[in-house]
Amino acid sequence: MKGRIGLALSWHEFVERTRDRWVLVISVLFALLAVGTSLYGRGAEADVQMLTGPSLVTLATLFVPLTGAVLGHDAIVGERERNTLGLLLSLPASRLEILAAKFVGRLLALALAVGLGLGLAALVAGGDEAPILMQLFVPTLILGAVFLSLGLFISTFSRRQTTAASLVVALWFLLVFFYDLGLLGLLIFTDGAVSTETIARLVFSNPAGLYRLEMMELFAGPELVDDLGVAVELPGTFVRAAMWTAWTAIPLAMSALIMTCRRTQK
Amino acid sequence: MNSIELRQIGVRFGGVQALDDVTVAVEKAEVVLLAGPNGAGKSTLIHTLLGLVRPQKGELFVDGQPHPVNNSFKDQVAYLPEAVAFAPSLTGRQVLRFFARARGVSSRRIEEVLEQVGLRNAGDRAVRGYSRGMRQRLGLAVTLLPEASVVVLDEPTGGLDQEGLQVLWEVLEKWRDQGRMVLMSSHDLTLLERRVDRICLLCEGRVMADDSPAGLRTRANLPARVTFGLSETNGASLRELLKEHYGDDVYEGEGSKLHVDIAVDGLLELLDLRGRHPESVESIRVEEPGLDLIYERLLETAKEAS
Repeated sequence: MKGRIGLALSWHEFVERTRDRWVLVISVLFALLAVGTSLYGRGAEADVQMLTGPSLVTLATLFVPLTGAVLGHDAIVGERERNTLGLLLSLPASRLEILAAKFVGRLLALALAVGLGLGLAALVAGGDEAPILMQLFVPTLILGAVFLSLGLFISTFSRRQTTAASLVVALWFLLVFFYDLGLLGLLIFTDGAVSTETIARLVFSNPAGLYRLEMMELFAGPELVDDLGVAVELPGTFVRAAMWTAWTAIPLAMSALIMTCRRTQK
Repeated sequence: MNSIELRQIGVRFGGVQALDDVTVAVEKAEVVLLAGPNGAGKSTLIHTLLGLVRPQKGELFVDGQPHPVNNSFKDQVAYLPEAVAFAPSLTGRQVLRFFARARGVSSRRIEEVLEQVGLRNAGDRAVRGYSRGMRQRLGLAVTLLPEASVVVLDEPTGGLDQEGLQVLWEVLEKWRDQGRMVLMSSHDLTLLERRVDRICLLCEGRVMADDSPAGLRTRANLPARVTFGLSETNGASLRELLKEHYGDDVYEGEGSKLHVDIAVDGLLELLDLRGRHPESVESIRVEEPGLDLIYERLLETAKEAS
């Protein structure tokens, strides 16, 4: 009985999300720009690891977090506004299962959007370069999953869908745009008084920053210089895996806690 | 499952006592209506039954035995929320397909319920193009999908046109015939009084009355209204006689109409007076008080008592 509802809801969420106009707009835009980047790289006859790959990383850092957050923002509050949350929760399934099924369904929609963009870019790049570009798929999906999880968390405690939408856009601006600018400002205003290690740790503590550095390392090798011009060494694989897991799992766990502990769900 | 009972339910939201010692039972093949003003606790009681609200006090009894609101119970319950809207980008058929899968119901049933609620031709249209009444019918189709023993409807008449109401009446009748237990809330007392077996009146989180519509009439003891169409030429004598007999309970109506408000047990005496003046009366009409009037009277009585 349990598996049946989870599977049905995941599929339902996937179908519904793939018809959402905002998700469609962002995904199509990402795919078009990814194809454009790939075409440009092919025309310039540059090494895929020097031009197309890093450019796609920059593109993905902008678009994928936004897609993930938008996908998650109405998961719960949207149901509440349509008066269907009670209907879902009256099904013979736990609140945790409902939440997990929603996450999985939306993650599938995200995988489709990411796969479409990167897949088309790889197809255009062609030949031996396609497999190199497709290495981006899993890490990019994980980056999106973190923002999906954050969006879902925002959706769980928001009272209105418009509030949730504003919050996820603000979060995206904060982590994708202003965070690095803030660090740059910190370096300038402290005139280098903040240590390189501290700056590096601050860069790593933002999923978008860690993703960008990991992917740069993938293309440029272990010797890399981050966007801020500060030499950094990435944490070990285990630590990084733990960080990605925590970034995805903690907002989900908090959503589950709110859903389970709240005495009223209608 | 032959009966369910929410016994001595107490729910408090912050400083507000939403439900106070409320007991409501539904038997097999019975349609019970929860009525009451806004904030009376109707939806809270429904949400308690569905496990959406956890009460501080009281519990659910199934067939006379305490029973948790767990998945095995929820598997036996179908629910229609108030003003349900569904995902606008999906078609009616897609919405039903999800609930059919979730409930383990065959896809053939989707066509049957679409037919039943009159949405067969609109099944492939996106929900965003549905009127409020059509969305409500789609919600009704969702509750029709499983063969649930308990059906819970929150304000089911909202947005329904005459055709939609007809669908609802047919469905209610069918559920009763099939031995389902139906618990619903509504403001439309006049619409529903002939469709329900029992009415539970709630006010400020307490049960004010729980009886059949006929029982509520007796309890409210409201007068019936008798309207005489008096003859232009011979009506004067009866008019005088009625005014003499019933005083302030006689009201002049439009044209030559005369209204008399009278307790039901006094009807025979009134008709006897009329019988003595057959030439004075062209028409006569007896109206029972509407359930909304009875409801207002019972509310007033309860408020005075508290």
